[in-house]
Amino acid sequence: MNATSSPLGAAPARHPAAREPQGAPAVQEAPATPADAVERLAGERATGALRGPAGTVYLAAGQVVHAESDRAPDLAALLTGCGRITPEAWQEILRVHGPRCRVGDALVEQGRLTRGELELCHLGALYDAAFFVLDATAGPWRFEPGVRHWLGPVTAVGAHRLRREVERRRQLLERIWPWPQLDTEPVRPSEAGIPESREACAGPGARGRHRRSPSRRQRELLDHADGRRTPGELARLLGHSAFATTADVRRLAAAGLLATPGCGTPGRGGPRHAAPSGGTTPDRSPADRSSSDRSPADRAAPGRTAGGLHRRVPGATLTGPAQAGPVRAAHPPTTAAAHPLTAPDPDIALLTRVLTLLEARL
Amino acid sequence: MPGIDECLSGAMAIAGARSASLVDWSSGLALGSLGISPTGEHETAAAEATDLVRAAVESQTFTGAEDKRAPLQDIIVTAGRSYHLLCFIDTVFDSRLVLHLWLDRSEGNLAAARYRLQALAEELVLG
Repeated sequence: MNATSSPLGAAPARHPAAREPQGAPAVQEAPATPADAVERLAGERATGALRGPAGTVYLAAGQVVHAESDRAPDLAALLTGCGRITPEAWQEILRVHGPRCRVGDALVEQGRLTRGELELCHLGALYDAAFFVLDATAGPWRFEPGVRHWLGPVTAVGAHRLRREVERRRQLLERIWPWPQLDTEPVRPSEAGIPESREACAGPGARGRHRRSPSRRQRELLDHADGRRTPGELARLLGHSAFATTADVRRLAAAGLLATPGCGTPGRGGPRHAAPSGGTTPDRSPADRSSSDRSPADRAAPGRTAGGLHRRVPGATLTGPAQAGPVRAAHPPTTAAAHPLTAPDPDIALLTRVLTLLEARL
Repeated sequence: MPGIDECLSGAMAIAGARSASLVDWSSGLALGSLGISPTGEHETAAAEATDLVRAAVESQTFTGAEDKRAPLQDIIVTAGRSYHLLCFIDTVFDSRLVLHLWLDRSEGNLAAARYRLQALAEELVLG
């Protein structure tokens, strides 16, 4: 299989400067982005698999017919996770019909899924995975012509439409809470357990002063946020769309219910002077956020010690000016320092989550 | 056995239908659309319908006393010249989908359209 693959540039980054022209036989000039590559292949009415660091996009006669990413639950995870198909039955269908690339048809013919269910599940999984596959900027990428997916034909999406959707989703995440680190790092409950503002749970559309409690799926996420699983792993575990999970993680972080990497959280020892339950919490409406030009790293909270532990500074707020801290690191801490491998104290973490949940139900 | 295209065609066959869209409200994506969009672009209409759906689904007022898994059946917006019907689709696997029908008030019948749309949403999943 690899013998027939043709590299599409080592690192199709978004920045033209990062482009590395390769001596690829099939491609004259490396595409600037993975989405460019898909569009070019679509223009050539190509059939095959475009493999990147975050997953694979499958084309048939220039149409995108499937996508898979290790960051998004696939059809098997969605259908076996909800109990619709047992893992054994799935394996059997895959074994019998996979080699002939007609697993999709077999699922319908055997009455395990209706045509509508198959299409809905497939399209959802396709867009979900494609977002993460095409959003990856670093290489290596390669195209394997002629490769077909075992699912077989179900539905197809045009390359241009897919590209626009990936771009729209990226912008949507940015509007919710512009911290891309949240998408790939383990999801941690906010150590303070006190939401700064719950407005953001409602997303960019709701800017009212009223508070909104987390939705059912958001509460499920909070229940499973253990500081170890990434949004992608949580999505797989819960059988939810990875993009929707990623968006919810950003909303919950914006609401202060999940910790934002690089954004200081209070330590367990300090008093919670700045964490009242009343209405004096800082307002982080989307407008405020967009007007702030500070980078996430600049917002590193005061009171962080060299060991990466957080100490609450009395009177300090997460968004407030950073001059209040008696001990302040000159530079934002490294990721490793900011995220100790284990929770500082499991009991405190548990209590914090219980507190968060109780508050969420107020 | 109906797929997405047949479902949307069926919705467009409802008397007074101007457009029909299948919207994934977890992302704001229109998985499929037929007819003319109220905004000129089905993508915009899907994103804006998503805002409305999310506001309703995530509000305690509308869902607090209901079944947690599928609290809402549909949302109806009555405008001066048209109706908007947003019918929730319930799938076994996790999904967040609505069928959005834009209906002309003078040509359509709200009760009949709502009944038919509900049936189409069920047929899409149940076959």
